[in-house]
Formats: sequence, structure tokens, C-alpha cells
Amino acid sequence: MSLESRRKLIVGIGNPGRQDDGLGWAFLDSLGDSGSGEFALEYRYQLQIEDAELISRFETVVFVDADRFTHPDGFEFSRIGSTRAVYSFSSHVLAPETVIELARTLYRRSPDCFILTISGSSFDLEIGLTESGRINLDKALGFFRNEMSRASEIAHTLG
Amino acid sequence: MLRKLVIDPVTRVEGHGKVTIHLDDDNHVKDAFFHIVEFRGFERFIQGHPYWEAPVMVQRLCGICPVSHHLAAAKAIDQIVGIDPEDLSVPAGKIRRLLHFGQVFQSHALHFFYLASPDLLFGFDSDPLKRNVVGVAAEYPEMAKKGILMRKFGQEIIKLITGKKIHGIAATPGGVHKHISAREISYFLDGKEIPTIDTMIEWTLETLEFIKAYFESNRGFLDSFAAYPSGHLGLVNKKNGYLELYDGFLRATDSEGTRTLNDVQNVEYADYFYERVERWTYLKFPYLKHLGREKGWNRVGPLARINICDGIETPLAENERKIFKNATGGKTNNMTMHTHWARLIEALYCAEMMRNLLNDSDLLSSDLLRKGERRNRGVGIIEAPRGTLIHEYEVDDKDRITRCNLIVSTTHNNEPMNQAVRWVANHVMDGKPEITEGMFNQVEVAIRAYDPCLSCATHAMGQMPLEISLYDSAGELIETRQR
Repeated sequence: MSLESRRKLIVGIGNPGRQDDGLGWAFLDSLGDSGSGEFALEYRYQLQIEDAELISRFETVVFVDADRFTHPDGFEFSRIGSTRAVYSFSSHVLAPETVIELARTLYRRSPDCFILTISGSSFDLEIGLTESGRINLDKALGFFRNEMSRASEIAHTLG
Repeated sequence: MLRKLVIDPVTRVEGHGKVTIHLDDDNHVKDAFFHIVEFRGFERFIQGHPYWEAPVMVQRLCGICPVSHHLAAAKAIDQIVGIDPEDLSVPAGKIRRLLHFGQVFQSHALHFFYLASPDLLFGFDSDPLKRNVVGVAAEYPEMAKKGILMRKFGQEIIKLITGKKIHGIAATPGGVHKHISAREISYFLDGKEIPTIDTMIEWTLETLEFIKAYFESNRGFLDSFAAYPSGHLGLVNKKNGYLELYDGFLRATDSEGTRTLNDVQNVEYADYFYERVERWTYLKFPYLKHLGREKGWNRVGPLARINICDGIETPLAENERKIFKNATGGKTNNMTMHTHWARLIEALYCAEMMRNLLNDSDLLSSDLLRKGERRNRGVGIIEAPRGTLIHEYEVDDKDRITRCNLIVSTTHNNEPMNQAVRWVANHVMDGKPEITEGMFNQVEVAIRAYDPCLSCATHAMGQMPLEISLYDSAGELIETRQR
């Protein structure tokens, strides 16, 4: 099945060489291991401008990233609503909102976009998640698998 | 009272650059510096690792040009296993070159469309909220879309050969680890999933027409902005002195075109270069020994390469080179902003070379590895997108790296970038009662022309979060501005 034949995309953002910064990639690894074939999975150290072209080819896009903020549930999931480009001085710090706006401006496409941020606790130069990061990852995976595995359900749940 | 203006960071991402400009009471520029305030220590911590790890480890220096480090290290490590560049199997050499052309093409596309074009399209003094890639997308959507697909094409070439767009692996000591299939090549030729290589050539030519028209209508300003005489350094083809990005002789000229380094073998580089250390920056200053620190520094990168080469082997790029040379009456071009023009000529060369290679049946061969007589030293020099990149390794008899020396492109361009900053300080800021945002952007425009990679940085798009601090002569902070 080609990437485009799946209408849902999950983009994992981060660097697995920096402990919990790898939560986005670990999330994708877990989905891949469990054979979740309905989503196309893309790994990114950071978002890039050409990702506007990528997301324009999907109906639903979920960005997954680590977060330094401690969410009560260990993660937070939300729709990226009416967006406005977030300006950054570096191509290394491209916000999902900017990519979404570029997709809308250049390709006239506005996929349904969501962001899942998973709380991490340590971001030093080391391969492997921390114990608390792993617990939060499991919580986020459980939530995602149970409640959000289908784009239609995502849309329905969040209205 | 002496005032000091500080632009910090010039960019972010692990590499941080900082500019300081010293003004006196009358707002005249006393001095200006471009500092690199990061330290990574790759040369030191790679010591003790087995030599075959070098091409994999060193590419982590950078998220923008990892392929350049991978290939430069691989060329050096080839020699450790007794293989000089001409001893590689023909397919391995061509696969490496295709990878390199893909890397340079996508990097040049990124720089022109994402980083440089906002300044050119909207003006150096335009609203920073507009002067970025989102602004380009809004007002020039067709150009922006082409830029995205040109970068994507190069990245897909990288992914084809290394398995990943960033930090993949292709080269092994003495060759490459996999060949390419006909089905994989058809992806780049049939136009079903991505635009073809012929489209890449067509779009690059279109972009060159744009830049030529732009230069024609802004000639006076672009010819003079941050222009200053300098040496020019790069590789040239060993057989004919033509533009060469993967393997060639080292050649340098002075600002008038007189040879100052006459086609030197890579392994001899250390006989010709010194690197000076300054207290105020972690970035060294390389220079030609026989000319000394004051006269021996060189620009590297697209402008230098087009200046020093005797021609280009692909016809379309060669035609563009001749037009470029005619703009200066055939003389050496020392105009910093012309680097943007030269960069696009190189992008065209890369696209033509990719077309040649994608239609070359040697890529399908499985004859990929060679091995020779073990050595203890290897030097790999390539032309990275930003300029001449030197990797040198020494290895003990237990296969451990005992010494590593890296001179990256941005290091060669250290003095030229400092010259550029001084030019803007002297010509734009000197004597002005107020330093405006547009003036600060002009400092960045001058630096940005070099597409510096401060450990993958200065890939700044549009607005930079500059913090500008004013210090008195006693070092006391008297004012801070942030835009």
C-alpha cells in the first residue's frame, strides 16, 4: 500500500538520541510494531517546509511530539484549529501551524490536523526514554488506540 | 564612549553565531566581528573509534549537509583501506557522485527558495513579518511550489542511495554498500510520482532567468553590496580544470585571478594550509601558508568554484557560466551577492549530472567494493554545498583513529564573512544615529550569501530573533533591543 493510498498521516517529531525527545518516534515505532496499517507514518527530526506538500495529500494528520510541560494525563491531544503561521527564525524550528498554513496557501488543502504532545522529563544526550517518559508514552498510545484510531472517530469525538 | 552592538544569535540551532559591532560616540564603526560561539569537539571525541565508524559518526556534525561529511570521511577512509578515488569501482564512484549531486541540488534549492529569496523578492528593508518563506508562498506560490519540489527531488535521491533523507548510510570503506535497481531509477524519470529530472533542469533554468533579470535591474546595488577582494579556493577536475564537486585538485586564485595554489593533490593539503586561532571565536581562520594570515585567506563555495574553474562539462551550465563570466568581462568576480547567481549555475550543473547518471547503466552494477594495501593516513576533500570540506584521519595498527582534522566550508569562509560584516557596518551603519531593523538584516544578508553552516545553522528564514545590546566602553550594558 503506497503512502498516498492511506488517507491518514502521523508525523513523529524528535531526536531519539536525546532521551525523551524521542517520544514522537517511539510512538510511531509502537504503532508500527502493532501493525497499525491504516496510518502512514513519517519520522522527522523537525518539520520542514516541504512537509506542506506531504500533508496536503492527506485528509487527517496527527503530529506527535515530546513536551517539556508536565500534562496531568501524561499527554495532551488537541485539534489544531484555525491556524496562523508561527514565524520562526530558523528552518529547524518550524511549527505545525506554519506547515499547515503553507499547505493551505500553496496547495489549497486543509487536512484535519491534530497534535499529540507527550510529557518528557529529561532531554540529555542519551539514547532511550526515561521511565516516566515510557509511562507517558503508554498512556498516550492507550488513548490513541482506544479512542482515536480512526479519523472519523477523531472528528466525531472532538466535534 | 565606545558603544558595542551585539547581534546574538545570528541564528540558532546548536551552532550559534554572534555579531558585535563597536561604535564610538559619533556612531562611527570602530570594528566588527562575526563570532562562532559553539564548540563541538568532533575532532577529539572521534579518537579511539575504529576507522570504519568515521563516515557514520561525523555526518552527525550536521543535519543539513550530512552527506558531505559522510562522503568526505568515506574518501579519507577509502585510503586507509588502500583505495584512492580513481581506484573505486566505476559503479561505486558514480553512485557516490549521484548522491553528492542530489545533496548539493537540494541544499542549493533550500538556500535559494527558502532563505535567500525573501530578501531578494521583498527587499532587505521590508517588513520582517512578510520577509520569510510564508510571505514568498503567499505572493509567489508557483515559485515556492517549484522550490519545494526541487528540494524534494534532491532529498529523494539521497533517500534512494542512503535509505534516509538525513543521516543515512551509503559509503563503506572502498565503495558503497548497495547498487540501485532499474525500478528505483524509473521513479526519477517517469514523472508518475514526482516531477522528472528534465523538469528539474527546466525549473532551474527558469530560476536562473529570474536571477539574471533581477541582477540586471539591481546591478549597481548588488555589485557593490558586501563586495571586497578576496582569494578563491576550491577543487577542479584533475583532467581539464573544470568545475568539480566530488574529487579533484585543490586550486586557489587571488582576487585578480592569479593562481596562488596550483592544482595540488588532496593528500598534500597540510603542506599548504595553516589554521589560526583567535581568542574571540571558536572558529579557526585557515589561510595559505606562503601568503600569510593577512593575504592567504580564501572564499569557498559557489562563487569561488565558478571563479577558479576553467569550464563546466554539462552544456547548459557551461552556457550559464559564460554569461556569468561575461558580466565581469571575464575577470574574477569578488561580488558577494553574485554568490546567489553562481549557486544556481551549480544547481543546474548538478541537475544535468543527475540526468546523465540516472540514465547510466553502470548504476545497476553490483561491482561495488575494492580493497588495497592498508595505510595509516587518509585525506578526503570534497566540495560541499558551501565550499571545500577537508577530512583527515590517522589510524593506528589496531584500526583506531588517533588523529582527526576537519576544515569545514564555513571555516574557510570565516574571514570572508567577517569582511562582509565589516563592509555592512562601515557602509550601512557608520555614522547613523539609529540602527534600524533593516540595517541589522543587511548584516544577515551579507552573512547569508555564504549559506554558512554553523553546525547546520544560519538556515534562518526571514525574521531572526535578534537581541541587540549596547555596551559602553567600560563594558556596562546601557540598552537592549529585541525585534
